[in-house]
Amino acid sequence: MLLALVLLPIIAGSVILLLRGEDRRIYRAIGVIVALATLLLAIEARSENWSAPWLRAPFVANFHLGIGTLAFWLIVLLALCTACAVLAVDSARPRALIGQLLLLEGTMLGLFVSRDLLLFALFYDLMLVPVFFVLLERGEHPRDAWRYIIYNFAGGLLLLFATAAFGVLHGTTDVIGTVGTTITGAWVPWIFWGFAIAFLVKTPAFPLHTWMPNTYASLPPPVAAVVGAVQSKAGLYGLFVIGLTLMPQEIARYSNVLIVLGSISVLYGAVAALVQSDAKRVVAYSSLSHLGLIVIAIATQQPLALAGAALYIVAHGLFTAAIFLGLGYVEEREETRSLARLRGIGAKNPRLAGALTIGGLAMLGLPGLAGFVGELVIITGIVESGNIAVAIIAVVSVVLAAAYVLRLFQGIVNGPVAHDLPVRRDLTWREGIAIAPLLLALLYLGVNPHAVLASGSVPIPRAPLSSTAGVTTP
Amino acid sequence: MTLPFTHVDWAAVAPLEVLAATGLLVLLLDLLWRPFAPRALSLSVAVLGTIVTVVMIAQQYGTNVSAFNGGYVVGNFSVLFSEVILLGTLGALALMGRGGSDRESAGTIALLLWSACGALLLAAAATTMTIFLGIELLSLALYCLCGLANRKSAREAALKYLLLSSTASAVLLFGMALLFGASGSVSLAALATPAMVTNPLFWMGSGFFLVGIAFKLSLVPFHAWAPDVYQGAPLPITAFMTVVTKAATIAIFARFAYAALPVGASQMLLLPIWVIAGISMIVGNVGMLAQHDLKRLLGYSGIAQVGYILAALAGTTKLGLRYAFFYLAVYAVMNLGAFAVAAVLSSSDEEEGTHLESYRGLGARRPLLAAAMTFFLLALAGLPPTAGFLGKILILAVTAGSGYLWLAALLLLGTAISLYAYAKIILAMYRPDHRVRSAETLRGAPLPWLSLALCLVATVALTFYPLLPSGIVPLVK
Repeated sequence: MLLALVLLPIIAGSVILLLRGEDRRIYRAIGVIVALATLLLAIEARSENWSAPWLRAPFVANFHLGIGTLAFWLIVLLALCTACAVLAVDSARPRALIGQLLLLEGTMLGLFVSRDLLLFALFYDLMLVPVFFVLLERGEHPRDAWRYIIYNFAGGLLLLFATAAFGVLHGTTDVIGTVGTTITGAWVPWIFWGFAIAFLVKTPAFPLHTWMPNTYASLPPPVAAVVGAVQSKAGLYGLFVIGLTLMPQEIARYSNVLIVLGSISVLYGAVAALVQSDAKRVVAYSSLSHLGLIVIAIATQQPLALAGAALYIVAHGLFTAAIFLGLGYVEEREETRSLARLRGIGAKNPRLAGALTIGGLAMLGLPGLAGFVGELVIITGIVESGNIAVAIIAVVSVVLAAAYVLRLFQGIVNGPVAHDLPVRRDLTWREGIAIAPLLLALLYLGVNPHAVLASGSVPIPRAPLSSTAGVTTP
Repeated sequence: MTLPFTHVDWAAVAPLEVLAATGLLVLLLDLLWRPFAPRALSLSVAVLGTIVTVVMIAQQYGTNVSAFNGGYVVGNFSVLFSEVILLGTLGALALMGRGGSDRESAGTIALLLWSACGALLLAAAATTMTIFLGIELLSLALYCLCGLANRKSAREAALKYLLLSSTASAVLLFGMALLFGASGSVSLAALATPAMVTNPLFWMGSGFFLVGIAFKLSLVPFHAWAPDVYQGAPLPITAFMTVVTKAATIAIFARFAYAALPVGASQMLLLPIWVIAGISMIVGNVGMLAQHDLKRLLGYSGIAQVGYILAALAGTTKLGLRYAFFYLAVYAVMNLGAFAVAAVLSSSDEEEGTHLESYRGLGARRPLLAAAMTFFLLALAGLPPTAGFLGKILILAVTAGSGYLWLAALLLLGTAISLYAYAKIILAMYRPDHRVRSAETLRGAPLPWLSLALCLVATVALTFYPLLPSGIVPLVK
């Protein structure tokens, strides 16, 4: 079942890439069905464990799959975002795009269900490939594809090195989610920074973020939605299941460095978001700011902050995906993303304006939506941990978030109708259905966040190893 | 009169005899057939003979025979390296199947097979005499093969290869003479005695020997000949050289490093090799950045890849040898795959179409080929799900595990640079091409396609079923 979960989208995506013809409806239908099927499979396989041997030397590695609690919510988020993104695809050549979206989903599912560090590293590198090709074929400039692949591959190499060193030191890499696995020795700081830098590139955090605004702005909106919402979480997920579980002492030792990097990301992202003129770049920089907050939360290791981080990971995914899709609709209609030119969508396309506004409100942390709960719990946790200065920075970032979100949506939604821009019809049913589940989920998690919060309170989600697992770790 | 060698000796080299006889058979058929034997016939005979050799060598697995007074040692080590060599030979033969005139085919094929014989000899050589015999047999045939194409650059390549390779052979031979002076024996086993550590002749001899090896492996600073020769030589010959010559020379190096060095001397003596292996990773990958010809680019890539393989041997651990062999096998299939794509694309010997400009817009014109090329290039860069990924992580683990952290760091740096170079080709393939092209009627011969498909499958399969043979110990007696 778990294997099917990973292979289904990969096989479906590969088959779609090999097909001919560009009928949007067929490919959309296949894509949505596959994405929803993975959702059902994930729920079905939630407590499963599957393992097959891979390497025996120089360290033990297994094809070990299992779903932890945080991973489960990320998988749900991923499947939902993929389904919505596929439904929102409105390109003249949808086949390759939908195929790559499914490949992206499959590789990221593989990442989230990996229970082995080597397998994790494999999927961590593999998930770059579909995005790289989308950027090559449909990006605004080949330069963006370069930047994306070079930065992330360099991060992936450090991850590879850290994994290899971990394996040699510990004897096995089949450790994700194994309670009580910690390593000691003079190498541990190196291994930790290998992992940490890889994850900070992916998240991204200052100063490793420079690939991100270009990538997000350059990607077609459906892919930007999945990458911005879920792929960026791979780094944070890694900090949770590898950093917090396997190397908590190292996180504690270097927490100041992580907190400083996170704080700079929070402030720099927010200030940069305030001055962007490209709507997608505003969201990209806001992402830097929001995810920096999660890095801080992880660095404090405060239980409340971690619970908030888990929720905020999911909430951020939901509203980022919704806003990227919404901005994609705006771009299709108005043929520009420039904040200087866009205005008056509210008068022309009220339904689109409504959807955008809900996403924006979730982003600035309106009570009742999931973003608020996440931020609140994280900041409470930071205060509990005694870092008042950091808590103040976090609060300032929330205020700045209100400023740039309002600037973004004031500009696009309100104001008189811009007469130099085309007038197109409002959201169709399909477009509406593509964005609605994300907004509903935001609302639901805003009033009932307990399940997701709980997934962060125990950063070591673990089902007992089955007898087929081959090895047991201490 | 008593014969100096028994049937045991001749049985040990039976696979080589078959391969050499196949070469003769190909020539003989060409002689009997008027006017020339068709290319397909020569190729089928050669492929068949090579496959028979593969099977015969595979049957030697698990045996342990020392033939010709210890000059030719059959064991798992020689069997595994021989199989990679034959794999490279088959790959090169498959590339010849892309077409060309019948006139030269038989001679080319025969030379190729004899060159492979020399490589097989190297895989099992355990005395300096056999090593030199193997190297000369391998190289002599290659000098001719390099100059076969009727291009100025091919003649230049042949001359360059002849001059530099002979120089390397001379240095190697000088080293061997000094080693003979030190131990009084041509056997490598005679070197592994503690008395050697204090013998200056041994140190000098080993130094010259290793320089010769580094020349043959095109390690920095002895690498300058490789890209020129690779670019000038015909495509199948370049593929052959990148795989077979490297595999054979690495076999020699591994046997020397693992079995022929006295305990006290090995770390210090080999340190310069690890250093130049590390430099090769960087120089090879940086050199790739500026190239505009695929063969040249893969030549530079080969310089770096040899660096990776040698990095696994650093520390001369048993595990390291296994991973070096694994990566060598993986490199062979990845590289042959990339060459197979180039062979399908190139139309004739005159205009080989390996200039990167001819890859422009390939993604739109030939999507399957472009995808295959992308796959092999990403594999060479070490991206999953290819075996290049697994090979790199194994090398990293064993290099760092034996304390050569700096080598592991250089490997990471080199790999990061290499992706940039490989991705440059990928970028060119997927960039729209606005130039007018003649309609592509070329479908490509079946053999390169077959080779391409097999390499593709092997590159993926080796990730999930890593072939890491255990009892691979280089024997000298």
